[in-house]
Amino acid sequence: MTTFTRRTMLAGAGAASLLGGTVAPARILPSSLMPLVGPGYRPQDPDERGMWQQMTRVEEEIAGSNLLVADPALNTYLRRLIGKVGGPATSDLRVYLARIPEFNAMMFPTGFAVVFTGLLLRMRDEAQLAGVLAHESSHFLLKHQLRQWRDTRRKTDIYSFASMLGGMVGGAAGYYTGNLDQLAQLGTIITLFRYNRQLEAEADALGIKLINDAGYAPLSMAETWEQLIGEVELSAAVRRKRPDRGYSIFADHPAPRERMIDLRASAAELTAPGKTYARGRERYLAAIAGIRPTLLDDQVKLNDAGASQYVIQTLAKDGWNGLLRFYEGESLRLRNTAAYDARAALSYAAAVSYPDVPADAWRWHGIYLAKAGHREESRAALQRYLALAPAAPDAPFVRQMLAS
Amino acid sequence: MRLLVPLLAAGLTLSGCVQTQQYADLQFAPPKGNYKLIVLRPEVEVGAVTTGGMVEPRADWTEQARSNVIAALRTQQEGRGGQTLILDRRDSLPTVPAEQVAELERLNAAVDQSIALHKYSGVTLPSKRRRGLDYTLGQDAVRFGQRTGYDYALFLHAEDSFASQGRVALQVLGIAGCFIGFCAPNVGGAGQFAYASLVDLRTGEVVWFNVLQAGSQVAGVKMGDLRTPDGAAQMVERLLGRMKPGRDVRRAQAAQRATP
Repeated sequence: MTTFTRRTMLAGAGAASLLGGTVAPARILPSSLMPLVGPGYRPQDPDERGMWQQMTRVEEEIAGSNLLVADPALNTYLRRLIGKVGGPATSDLRVYLARIPEFNAMMFPTGFAVVFTGLLLRMRDEAQLAGVLAHESSHFLLKHQLRQWRDTRRKTDIYSFASMLGGMVGGAAGYYTGNLDQLAQLGTIITLFRYNRQLEAEADALGIKLINDAGYAPLSMAETWEQLIGEVELSAAVRRKRPDRGYSIFADHPAPRERMIDLRASAAELTAPGKTYARGRERYLAAIAGIRPTLLDDQVKLNDAGASQYVIQTLAKDGWNGLLRFYEGESLRLRNTAAYDARAALSYAAAVSYPDVPADAWRWHGIYLAKAGHREESRAALQRYLALAPAAPDAPFVRQMLAS
Repeated sequence: MRLLVPLLAAGLTLSGCVQTQQYADLQFAPPKGNYKLIVLRPEVEVGAVTTGGMVEPRADWTEQARSNVIAALRTQQEGRGGQTLILDRRDSLPTVPAEQVAELERLNAAVDQSIALHKYSGVTLPSKRRRGLDYTLGQDAVRFGQRTGYDYALFLHAEDSFASQGRVALQVLGIAGCFIGFCAPNVGGAGQFAYASLVDLRTGEVVWFNVLQAGSQVAGVKMGDLRTPDGAAQMVERLLGRMKPGRDVRRAQAAQRATP
């Protein structure tokens, strides 16, 4: 039953292409897309109304989730930013910030987005974040979830009928059609994934147009992908694994490198020569200042050494500071080998020379000094730690160490 | 061929069915008389089964079904002598903040999932064998009961779906195929699925749980319809009507009957 004859292969491929659409999509031009929703958009058809009703409940759950970061100023900042790049839907979009240390954001069909804190950690400036939010807004503006649902419904409808009819014809002719049916099923599944990749490419194309209209550098979106590719590769290299490059007919998103290349081409097309674009770096850093230590802490505790190293070094391209040096030290220390311990000690030593260093850096600096035999310097560092964090949970222990 | 048609007809009729499976706490006696019951946001979802077999949620049917189910629930509980409050929004209790209601709902959802897994999906726990329904929402539920003055909380979830014309047509094709050598009559149509859990707010324990499945293998044949008041009443009756007492209570009753 598992052997396919040439004829079944051809027929199956024919059935699959009947369900499918076009060949692998070329770059979608930003100028070719128009938003499908206007301000105050309401659902139109029964399937859309059903979807909205379900999503109202989902939003209620998300809005009350204890994973959300409460910080009102930061939330206002995010809401204003998604408003800037939301096209005609600016006033209808909502955004929720969830404390999940992962690079991700998602849009729901009723116009609310969920942004993970891992995303905020990785953004170097407002233009990059605006790019992600514009991509998410575009999913809403182009009614992607609804179109996806309708596409799936249409294709499974056709498949079911074709499979039933095929079975009947085969039955009448005394010809086994099971293999053919399996191929058609596979074809259906593949086209569903391909359609999803096309929608992602659409969101990239409209997104870059939106940030360009808002005055942000269009190239920032390609940079975000460049960073993500670098992170995935270093993470895999440190784990001695091959990076998942996402080239698969079953992938639901386009391969990152393809996206980066397309976004670069679109950026070149949109960038007006001589025009200066906003990056909003200071504004962005001011907005996330309150939670940046938490963002770094969550990342380092994932114990994904390669990713942490890449993220910290990428952020440090805009200048080192005590916080970044300290977390560099933490990431190295957690690798837990003598060689990396030596490097961690250097990071802590560098960290304590900055005014914004967390108190914990002084403790680790002191411990590594003691290990290296520098008793007096170690005592001084630990005393500095106690002075900065007298109520730390391990303060009595450190005092005991100093007394002995 | 003469034999095939009645056989097929019989098969199709039998393949539609209504099933319930309830579990009760060992000491559970169904509430009767003057008790106070609060129903926390009954969840109702109604959709259409597409030709390909997906369920498409329908807002209008869902609204209709929800109000029918709420009405049926009210009538049914009044028949047992209880006072019932049906909460449709989390913030409509004067003494309990919405966030606390939400927490109780989420806790219950987690416990319900656990019950579904260990009592219904075959992953039985050796420590809970023959112990009836041994689950609790703990002090959160007790405090909720004290604040609101209710004796029981009922959680209810109901889904209903109906075959689209395309689905029915597909089934007709599948049956027609039987005459030419390709038989696929069991395309599956639509069905009802509901579950309910009753929590004793004086102890915090989940005292009773029931799952209802009503469906037909024949697309287009309904085994109840939540969109109609009668169908909703039928579903509520099937799910909550015959509440089985716990084992200890049943034994005590049997012993009483034995000694006149």
